[in-house]
Amino acid sequence: MLNILVVDDLALNRRLLTVMLEQQGYRVYSAENGLVALNLLEEHTIDIVLLDVIMPVMDGFETAAIIKERFSQVYLPIIFITSLEDEASFERCLAVGGDDFLHKPFQEVILNAKIKAHSRIRNLSQKAREQNLQLEYHQNQVEREHEIVEHIFNNALENQQSFPKHLDFHLSPAAMFNGDMFLVAQSPLGSLYCMLGDFTGHGLAAAVGALPASRVFYTMVSKGMSVSDIAAEINSVLGKLLPGHMFCAATIIELSSTGKSISAWLGGLPDTYIINQSGEVIRTLESQHMALGILEEDEFERALIHIEVEDTCRIVMATDGIIETTSPHDEYFGEHRFKKVLASKPAISTEQVLERVNKFARGSKQQDDLSLVLLNCLPMREPEQKSEPLSALPFNFSLSLNSKQIKSTDPVLEVVDVISKVAGLNAHRANIFLILSEAYNNALDHGVLGLDSEVKNQEDGFLIYYQQREEALANLTDALIIIDIRYCPEELALYFTVCDSGNGFSKEQANQQSLAREHGRGLCLLGEVASKVTFNSAGNQVEIYYQLTASSTSSH
Amino acid sequence: MSLTRSTSADGAILTVQIKGKFDFNLVQSFRQAYADLNDNIDKVVIDLRETDYMDSSALGMLLNMKKNLTGKVETIQISNCQPQLKKILQISRFDKKFDID
Repeated sequence: MLNILVVDDLALNRRLLTVMLEQQGYRVYSAENGLVALNLLEEHTIDIVLLDVIMPVMDGFETAAIIKERFSQVYLPIIFITSLEDEASFERCLAVGGDDFLHKPFQEVILNAKIKAHSRIRNLSQKAREQNLQLEYHQNQVEREHEIVEHIFNNALENQQSFPKHLDFHLSPAAMFNGDMFLVAQSPLGSLYCMLGDFTGHGLAAAVGALPASRVFYTMVSKGMSVSDIAAEINSVLGKLLPGHMFCAATIIELSSTGKSISAWLGGLPDTYIINQSGEVIRTLESQHMALGILEEDEFERALIHIEVEDTCRIVMATDGIIETTSPHDEYFGEHRFKKVLASKPAISTEQVLERVNKFARGSKQQDDLSLVLLNCLPMREPEQKSEPLSALPFNFSLSLNSKQIKSTDPVLEVVDVISKVAGLNAHRANIFLILSEAYNNALDHGVLGLDSEVKNQEDGFLIYYQQREEALANLTDALIIIDIRYCPEELALYFTVCDSGNGFSKEQANQQSLAREHGRGLCLLGEVASKVTFNSAGNQVEIYYQLTASSTSSH
Repeated sequence: MSLTRSTSADGAILTVQIKGKFDFNLVQSFRQAYADLNDNIDKVVIDLRETDYMDSSALGMLLNMKKNLTGKVETIQISNCQPQLKKILQISRFDKKFDID
């Protein structure tokens, strides 16, 4: 129901109008001057004001001006009802904000028509106001979303700046909202991994994918896993997580620690280039696979490209922003221009490339998702190895295996896992494995099972040997192998003793020569890795002394 | 412990990756990994990035492979060795017989 405010100093006029309007079904409020009218406007929602001009206390002109100032957000029509007829008064009515006039005496039909017309306008204005409020709300939402996206990206992207000698890249903050992502990390073996990704979708939608993808990337690089494994895992994570229409075109590259070779998985991004010293493209790596997050795990294509590179080579990766930049004449920047720019100057920087791209785009809509990576194929610095201090406690470990256990287990790795739990020994676990494996297998194969290594020299001898071993093992009864390991913190040393219930090699004098020659490789290796290896006279017990030097890789 | 083989996109490089420990338990699968090589393959890469342990039986298997593949492929490369394993390969003079990256 429409609320109409009638303002007139004459009670009779107010009464007349009120009756007339109430008959039309309007709710009517009335005031005898401007001041009272303003109070009523504060208290009630008024849709139309019918305003007399000449009134005591506050006249119509003054009142109209104040009303228009106070109620500016939604159109509140003021219709002056006046007997004034001079032009100056009309002008003034309009100047103070009046929307219409009605001359006294007036026809009821005209008043009704005017009220209807103005209420329609007020309705429209009200709708516009509501829509504006909604728009403002959504705008705030989007801004907040952008803040979240920026926050997520900043937290997701680690060590981008850690390899200034190897990497020159450009990725504008706006590019993130367009779904571009660049990840970098070094593996424990020293190789450098880079991933340039381009998510379909924008803003939060793209960031949602960037988070798990970056987690997978960093975790797998920290374990030194292969590029194809990383690609497969990100594919599977994104496939499970993202809606069907969203995926991530990506190039993942591993530069070996020597800087001499690269392995690349290429899925859906524009060509990657290898350029030489003068910036000429010497090899183009085309996308080989579908983008990440599309194929099921069992359909996923893992094939990589492996290339040898020189230390003067650079690898150029970009998302489609650069080649799709358009000039004012609607011409694409294109691959040809891109290659020309790369060759325009030796050791060109991303900044210089983008300067040229922006110059090309001048006047036309500015591109803001130009992502570009230049990777120099230089040797990597070896990553720092964290070394855990050695325990001060003198641990002892002892294990006796009977024939049943010998048959059904392969105990070496399990023992290594246990020993490696002693603080500081984990760094030596590969050597500990080698020592135990040689000693245990020597005790088992030649001591307990009495196998002859001679067969290994034949064609496919290895296979035959291990078949014989399996058979002998199946028939084994009454055997014992004892493993004893002592950690000596004062000497920074490990003592291994492995003894077996076999005949030793004293009774096999005749075979000794071939024995010594044949398992020579194992024993020789043992002698190099350990500081001292001694057999007892019976030949069924070996003692090995291993020095725990500061670094397990330090030379002898 | 596992062994996976993959061929590069251009079909010229066979990569054999060994995870966990590289010892006699892999005798058969390692032998099979390079058994029926496609003629296109001119390089075999033994990728040890996820190999934590190896012993002399692994060295024997590598030498067997070299014997078998000599003349069939141009290069046999052992790549991505962890430091202790690289040391073992060096002690055994494998750097003279293989291309160790």
